[in-house]
Amino acid sequence: MVGTIGIFALPMRKDTECCAYVKRFIEGRVFSVLMISTISLNALCMVLQTNYDIRNYLFLIFEVVEVLFMSVYCFEFCIKLYVDPLGYWKNGYNLLNVVIIIILSVPFYMRKLFGRHYPYLNIGEGIQSLRILKLIPYSRGIRTLITALGQTICTVASVMTLLFLMMFIFAILGFCLFGSTDAGDLNNWGNLAVAFFTLFSLTTVDGWTDLQKDLDERGFTLSRAFTIFFILLGSFVFLSMFVGVMIIHTEDSIKKFEKELEDERHVAVLQEKQNILKKQQEEVSRLMQKGLVEGFKKTLRHSDPMVLEDFCTTLPFIDIYLSTLDNQDNTISKYIEIEDDLGLPKLRGKGKEGEHSRQRKSIERHW
Amino acid sequence: MKSAELPEVSENFGPTAVTRADAVRSRLIDTFSLIDHFRGLSQAVPRHNLREFLDPARQRKLMLGDQHQLVRFSIRPGHNRILFAQRQQCRLRVRCNRWAPISLWAGWVLRKRIFINFVNCLIFLNTIFLMVEIELVNTTNVRMLPIMMALEVGSWFILFIFILEIVLFWLYNFFLFWKSAWNLFDFFVTTLSLLPEIVVLVGVTGESVWLQLLRICRVLRSLKLFARFRQIRVIILALVRALKTMTFLLVLLLIFFYIFALTGVYFFESYSRSDIQDLEYQMYFTDVPNSLVTVFILFTLDHWYALLQDAWRVPALSKAFSSLYVILWLLLGSIIFRNIIVAMMVTNFQAIRNELSEEATHSEMQHKASIFKRQIIKRRLNQKDGEKAKVRSSSGHITPQTSYHSASSLTGDMSQSENLVKTSVPKDLSTPQEYRLSSDSPGLVDWETHVHQNLHGLMEMDQDERVVWPRDSLFRYFELLEKLQYNIEERKQLQEFAVKALINLKDN
Repeated sequence: MVGTIGIFALPMRKDTECCAYVKRFIEGRVFSVLMISTISLNALCMVLQTNYDIRNYLFLIFEVVEVLFMSVYCFEFCIKLYVDPLGYWKNGYNLLNVVIIIILSVPFYMRKLFGRHYPYLNIGEGIQSLRILKLIPYSRGIRTLITALGQTICTVASVMTLLFLMMFIFAILGFCLFGSTDAGDLNNWGNLAVAFFTLFSLTTVDGWTDLQKDLDERGFTLSRAFTIFFILLGSFVFLSMFVGVMIIHTEDSIKKFEKELEDERHVAVLQEKQNILKKQQEEVSRLMQKGLVEGFKKTLRHSDPMVLEDFCTTLPFIDIYLSTLDNQDNTISKYIEIEDDLGLPKLRGKGKEGEHSRQRKSIERHW
Repeated sequence: MKSAELPEVSENFGPTAVTRADAVRSRLIDTFSLIDHFRGLSQAVPRHNLREFLDPARQRKLMLGDQHQLVRFSIRPGHNRILFAQRQQCRLRVRCNRWAPISLWAGWVLRKRIFINFVNCLIFLNTIFLMVEIELVNTTNVRMLPIMMALEVGSWFILFIFILEIVLFWLYNFFLFWKSAWNLFDFFVTTLSLLPEIVVLVGVTGESVWLQLLRICRVLRSLKLFARFRQIRVIILALVRALKTMTFLLVLLLIFFYIFALTGVYFFESYSRSDIQDLEYQMYFTDVPNSLVTVFILFTLDHWYALLQDAWRVPALSKAFSSLYVILWLLLGSIIFRNIIVAMMVTNFQAIRNELSEEATHSEMQHKASIFKRQIIKRRLNQKDGEKAKVRSSSGHITPQTSYHSASSLTGDMSQSENLVKTSVPKDLSTPQEYRLSSDSPGLVDWETHVHQNLHGLMEMDQDERVVWPRDSLFRYFELLEKLQYNIEERKQLQEFAVKALINLKDN
């Protein structure tokens, strides 16, 4: 019994059993082992394919294996979509799967549409390496890491934007100073793109002395001040600030994440405890009848010792408990006095309080 | 036991009272193994004690009488830390040994401060000898020969002392040796420096390169220093822990390395195959191993712009994609990932430091908890005395006020640092102890807050404290405690009613 598959499925699915079975299969171990092994094999094959000799020699095998991998990925896409057509698109990892399937088909269509000598063909083949990202959903540790670090993306983006703006300003400045005239350094400051590259090189302080030497040869007077100022600002201040901000955010997000995990675990443990307690109560109330308990009580002898280590049977606990109850009793008695003063009708609380203190006394007596 | 009535009453109350009462009842059931008893599974009552067992006549009668012959005992996990050294002194193998107890002597030697310092000095000396030897190894000066001989003999002597130390530890406890990672490291280093000599002795003369390498392993002996000093140990342990938490980050980094290496091979294909002369970095993207190394070079931000400019010289290479590749990898790998690693290291070190300080606060908390316990016991004792006095003096109506008076006087009496006092003063100050109250000073906590602050510490105390209860009293105690919970809950409800009534009165 196959229900309707598709995004416009009916709100009430008729094929619940099949759906549940497929869902169990997806969440089971067989499926994840299958996917992990497929993706790893795919990664290995791609590495082997870079070598021209091997590729020539095993051409047919690679073709067959490619079709196999593509079919496995499409199968995964289809059954996950079948289980949950609408909720499929809400999960980020599923979107990643869709993107990778699209990427997979890019070289094929490129070859078809543009012929075999299209210069951008190797770009299409290059991005096939992204297939290994499919491994991430199947590894719990990496998933938690990405969730924990996901908060830092906003910070990263804002710092990057700030850096870009600063580089933009300095690029325009540098272009006007060093690259606009004919006698200027057109190689490094000739147009905006090259200026950006030069500034990025200064930010990462790699090979900046050579760039500075180029400027010195042309005889620009202010170039040293400009370069040093930008290096101080971009590399020392900005990148260090980047590190500092990331440290704080990583700490916060990891702490928050761990706290969430801890809370979840705590709630689950508490729930378990409640369940066990409830079962125990039911069982005991089933078994306990008046006669049985009395009979049990008769077997208790005063000379039999019971050695306990529980906190609730220790002397300090009893002391604290009874002292706290005394204080509460005190509060009530004061309140009753206030009532007397105000002339309010007496509550029945006094009687209950008497019984309560009577019980306390009986505990002390037995002790 | 009116347990049959209680389930009806419990429905009127809120969840907390029921859970507390239920907890008490399940404690009762647990302690007395009521379920087993009602199922008839076992004789839950301990009818015999150890003395009856040790008496042979009674023992025989017991064994014949009890058809299951089962013994119920409870296991208490011990918290003692008995060191191996302490245990060794009691073992029969050591005490009743036919020959001298060498393991005891070995343990004593290993723990002696003089011996430890001696071995440390030898490690230093070994390093110095090695340094001098390296300098002198290629001289042809004849006068240096005796010095060389002396250094060689010294090295051998030190090696023998190291071997002796390992043998001493084996004599002390063979299996404990292999459980510690530092000992394994010591063993590994010593065997590695011993290996070339053994190989030479056996007679293998060829492969002199390997012999040279093995001789160089002598230098590793200096690493033994790391295991000796406590500070270095702490740092290394902290480092290992930090690395362990960062495994997934490193796995993610490896995945990105793979992606960019593979992509690099394809993107720079035309650069690798270009015919233009003297391209500096042409071999850098030819196949995957080279590409991996190049990706690592870019990760360390070394000569990336030179590489890019060199690649641009090839016209077939698309400038946009290659620069996009390099810039993206620099941003992602070198800037973002490296700083994430730094951030995680810092977080880990902070966590480790917090843990270490937590241990210090733990012991402090224990101390506070024991002070708190003493306070409670004293307070209770005084309370009892106060009550007895009141009972003797006045009528039978025992008001809680008396107990409060004596309690607060007691607290004023104490010279501890924590002065607990109730902020409201009692009405009649008849007994003479009252004026010792440190009363009405704001800022001191009241009893309940004080209890809440210290209760956790009290519960976590490490003492192996056991309380002996008589059996029927314990049963009665649990029963009463359960009933008390219900009554307290009822009182709470009454209090709420009273408050509402008062508010209504005030409003009207």
